[in-house]
Amino acid sequence: MAKQSNDGAKTKKKSNKKHHKKSDPDAISMKLKSQKPNPFETIWSRRKFDVLGKKRKGEERRIGRARSLAIQKRKKTLLKEYEQSTKSSVFVDKRIGEQNDDLGEFEKGILRSQRERQLKLGKKSKFNLSDGEEDEFDAPDFGSLPERDDFEDEMLSDDDNYADESKIKLLLFIMMMLYNLFIDNPNFLVTFFFISPVYGKNFVFVFIYINGRDDMFSFSERSTVLKHLNSHSAKDPLEGDLIEGEENKHKSKKEIMEEVILKSKFFKAQKARDKEENEQLMDELDKSFSSLVQSQALLSLTEPGKMNALKALVNKSIPDEHVKKEELAVMQKAETNNQEQPDSYDKLVHEMVLDMRARPSDRTKTPEEIAQEERERLERLEEERQKRMLAMDYSSDEDGENAEKDYAQRPRAISGDDLGDSFALDDEPGNKKGWVDEILERKDANDSEDEDEDDSEDLGSPEDTDEDEESEEEEEDDENESEKTLSFKDWEQSDDDNVGTDLEEDEETDEHDEAIGDEDVDKKSRNKTNKTELKKCVESVDAKKPKASGKHTSTKSDIPFIIEAPKNLDELSSLLENRSNDDVIVIINRIRASNAIKLAAENRKKMQVFYGVLLQYFAVLANKKPLNFELSNLLVKPIMEMSTEIPFFSAICARERILRSRVQFCEALKNHENGCWPTLKTLFLLRLWSMIFPCSDYRHVVTTPALLLMCEYLMRCPIMSGRDVAIGSFLCSMILMFTKQSRKFCPEAIMFLRTLLMAATEHKLASEQDSQFYHFMELKALRPLLCIHDGVDEINPLNFLMVMEMSDDSSFFRSDNFRASALLTVIETLQGFIEIYDGLNSFPEIFLPIATLLVEVSEQKHMPKALKDKFNNVSQLIKKKADKTHTLRRPLQLRKQKPAPIKLLNPKFEENFIKGRDYDPDRERAERRKLQKLIKREAKGAARELRKDNYFLYEAKQRDRELVEKERAANYGRAIAFLQEQEHAFKSGQLGKGSKKRRR
Amino acid sequence: MVRPYAIKGKKRKNRGEKYDKEEQEHEEQVEEEEEEEKEPAKRAAIEKTTEEVEGKEEEEGGEAGTDELVGIPIAPPDKKNNKNGVIFVLEKASLEVAKVGKSFQLLNSDDHANFLRKNNKNPADYRPDITHQALLSILDSPVNKAGRLQAVYVRTEKGVLFEVKPHVRIPRTYKRFSGIMLQLLQKLNITAVGKREKLLRVIKNPVTNYFPVNSRKIGFSYSSDKLVKMRKYVDTVGDDVNLVFVVGAMAHGKIEVDYIDDFIAISGYPLSAAMCIARITEALADKWSIL
Repeated sequence: MAKQSNDGAKTKKKSNKKHHKKSDPDAISMKLKSQKPNPFETIWSRRKFDVLGKKRKGEERRIGRARSLAIQKRKKTLLKEYEQSTKSSVFVDKRIGEQNDDLGEFEKGILRSQRERQLKLGKKSKFNLSDGEEDEFDAPDFGSLPERDDFEDEMLSDDDNYADESKIKLLLFIMMMLYNLFIDNPNFLVTFFFISPVYGKNFVFVFIYINGRDDMFSFSERSTVLKHLNSHSAKDPLEGDLIEGEENKHKSKKEIMEEVILKSKFFKAQKARDKEENEQLMDELDKSFSSLVQSQALLSLTEPGKMNALKALVNKSIPDEHVKKEELAVMQKAETNNQEQPDSYDKLVHEMVLDMRARPSDRTKTPEEIAQEERERLERLEEERQKRMLAMDYSSDEDGENAEKDYAQRPRAISGDDLGDSFALDDEPGNKKGWVDEILERKDANDSEDEDEDDSEDLGSPEDTDEDEESEEEEEDDENESEKTLSFKDWEQSDDDNVGTDLEEDEETDEHDEAIGDEDVDKKSRNKTNKTELKKCVESVDAKKPKASGKHTSTKSDIPFIIEAPKNLDELSSLLENRSNDDVIVIINRIRASNAIKLAAENRKKMQVFYGVLLQYFAVLANKKPLNFELSNLLVKPIMEMSTEIPFFSAICARERILRSRVQFCEALKNHENGCWPTLKTLFLLRLWSMIFPCSDYRHVVTTPALLLMCEYLMRCPIMSGRDVAIGSFLCSMILMFTKQSRKFCPEAIMFLRTLLMAATEHKLASEQDSQFYHFMELKALRPLLCIHDGVDEINPLNFLMVMEMSDDSSFFRSDNFRASALLTVIETLQGFIEIYDGLNSFPEIFLPIATLLVEVSEQKHMPKALKDKFNNVSQLIKKKADKTHTLRRPLQLRKQKPAPIKLLNPKFEENFIKGRDYDPDRERAERRKLQKLIKREAKGAARELRKDNYFLYEAKQRDRELVEKERAANYGRAIAFLQEQEHAFKSGQLGKGSKKRRR
Repeated sequence: MVRPYAIKGKKRKNRGEKYDKEEQEHEEQVEEEEEEEKEPAKRAAIEKTTEEVEGKEEEEGGEAGTDELVGIPIAPPDKKNNKNGVIFVLEKASLEVAKVGKSFQLLNSDDHANFLRKNNKNPADYRPDITHQALLSILDSPVNKAGRLQAVYVRTEKGVLFEVKPHVRIPRTYKRFSGIMLQLLQKLNITAVGKREKLLRVIKNPVTNYFPVNSRKIGFSYSSDKLVKMRKYVDTVGDDVNLVFVVGAMAHGKIEVDYIDDFIAISGYPLSAAMCIARITEALADKWSIL
């Protein structure tokens, strides 16, 4: 009851509040509207820069207004707290919804009633016996709140009847519960009778009700009873309806559940039925099909193989079915057995699956394309050669790479227009060359060398202008042509072999490996084909050669086709004895063909031995007294071809021979009697190597020592006779050929030529200016060997071979003819050197003395006209070139320091800058920084708020203090005033006469 | 804020970029003195080494490459180093950032003609390329390479003033330049790659605050009656005076600033900003014999 009254009070309050509040917001708003606008609030923040195209957003922030709002808020919260801080107790309004300003009065009411119902529906209160009707009736109808209020008022004036009836209702309810509990209890009736007399009035209904019960106490029945009751009491129809509705709802839920269950069951059943039907149908179909198979109709239609398969299929699918016809089943079984073995068609299909697919091949190249490719290849090779010619490449490959790297890393001078950052992409084309390339290139260089040689011939290097030589050259040209094609073919086929044998040491094992590898393939057949091919090649070559050389072919019937490679020189010489030149070449070619490296791995060894032998033969041939020069020429070609096949071995051979000749030379120098000038053999070999190996390389295993050897000959051999002069000038021309392309400076050759020129002067020793020159020439016994004493009618070019054959003291060397031709040779060679060295910076220093010497020689009286002209021409040439170099020279001057420009710095900026974005590449750090920024901002905001709070509080306190102060002042003033008044009164004597009197 | 990148060296706090002109100048002086002190020592060292090498070379007697002759002594550098530099001010540069579409862009007449017309602006006035060219011609000049340029100030049409350090490598392509200007005008400074040093930064107006004390401000205008030959004009200026050249970086119009001492024309024809600057720097280089 207390609670009820409390509630009542609450509602009363509420209604009061409602009125109050209703007026409140309006009033406030009215007030606000009527308020004069704060001038500070009207000033808005304004943007400094007007950015074109930017939306004006966030400009409505009114700082003044925001500030005043913040103060308002503080007044509501902080000020309140402050005011209550001195209080010991607080009045807390805990009514529901009272804190929330958004809610209206009605919503608050809803909230409250909801809470109330929730409390009642909770589990705890389920079995609570209600102590008043408010429990039952108050709860459901919040809608009739005013009515309830009325009811409350009516309570006072209500009669007993109503109360009784409600009590009866309650009792009934209790009884129902009891019945529910003690349905099987025999005491029940007793209880009932015990209770019933108390409520005499409604006894009958209850009794009926109890009798009418069968076994279960259901809600529907209860409702009817309640209806009865309601109709009797006729007071609260609404409540009954409500209950009824509630119950209906409950029922429907149950029903829905049942329905759902029923439906699902129905569907399941239907599915099962469908499945069964399907199975039945399938069975029928199978049956009919099997019968069809067994009938003859299908048999006639299909081929027997497939029939078998079909039957097997049927068999498998219906294993139980073939019980009726056992005989047929047996047959079928046999057929299935047959069926399991794959037939030819299946096999074929399987094979086809496993077959390789045809691959598209490259289309055949047109001649233009081939030519283009060849051209590109040659260009590339030339490039590489040029590179090798320069100093950069003389070190090993790794060094080359390093150099390249250095080049890439080398800081370039930045031009003014440089973009300064990552725009430049530097792609240095790497020069990687395989071993094969190198070899090819070397060969190519050989070819080019040969061509150069031809050129030199054309220029008219006098030593080689023999008729024989010329024919040789012609021959060689043709040979080169054929050789080229041949060797290319060879290379293509024997690539692998060569790659496998990088080093001599590895050879054995490699060969072994290859042999093993070869065993897998059908070796014999391949060999055969190769052999035949080779034979064809050889024959074609043979056929070609006679045409080219224009010499008659000898009978080759006595030459065997397959010749074992000779192991030493004796074998070879016995083999080649008494053969004609052509036969010798044929023999050698056959030996090469029958022992070709690509035929068998062990042939390499053989060929190497044979190469050595052949070289020896060549050398011996050169030393023979009646010189078979034609044969030597012919031998050059096979030797060259072979050395391309076994480049390493040939290089080693050449080196060994060079070393040996050097040793011999040193020995010869020690005893001066016999001339230490190289023999014809050495000269021939040097010439051969110059053709085999590239002369233009900056550093080469063979050509470099060869060149050095030649220079040494020129330097250290004394010039004793005309023969020495001839040999020396031949060596000079050879050096010229060596250095023609690489333009290496060879001072020995120049010096030698100069010495010869000096030998041509009349007066014995030249002027003092050349004194330093003779320092080098101390070994050379300078006699006027070449001084022409009488007029010469015609100048013939020197026949070197002829000269070599002559003895030292032959009269020819003392003839003026020889001298003239020797001088001609010298001047030609000199011209060649001048052409080569005109790029040197020290050209004038090298050649100008020679020029004066030339003039001197040419002014001799017996000098033939042609030679004179030539001498003068050359000296003119030297002078011209020297002048050119002189003009290019610049005077020596102090080295200027390049002014160092200020160091430039690249600005850092983003491609698409977006304001406020963190461009830190480290995402994590950026994220962290963002968070820290946030923290800082928040902290700042909090500090600001606190500061403002403090100001606010301080102001509030100040106000209080002022108030107190004022009050105190007022009190003080009042007291003072009182005292003054008293004083005044006292002084004016209004405070009684007695004192006055007393004073008096 | 934390330091964004771990940079070794002194803390920012200690170093403290001093934007005060006088202090800066003082520092520079000190540095230069230090350099001068260092240089003779260096030279002596070089000479010593060269002598040694010479001795060796004579023994070897080989030919050395002509371009790097170690034996030849280095000519002493020009000694008289007058400190006064030159300052350039580019007035009325049309660098304006706008929000075109969703992104901010530096307005130019080519790409944003429609946008500008939509906003009732004359596209012909938006010419950031003039500034770009002018900056390039200033910073590429030998005067700058020789370290005689003190600073470049650019004042935009909108009145934003920013300083360009002489050792910036301004992007040579326009696109990158616009990127850098965009970032500068939004972020207000641009640092060097890998350093904290600010190469470009927006500073407070007026620009006169940043001029050295004894400076002569020379404005250039085609409309000026005083047509002079630049070389001669520069010669008349004493060595102790700091030169400030004020050049307009706009398409049309005339620079209108109050701090200019002298308004001159250096050609009978209207010159582009870049050409004008080229003439100025040429004359200066000639005067200071910078080759």
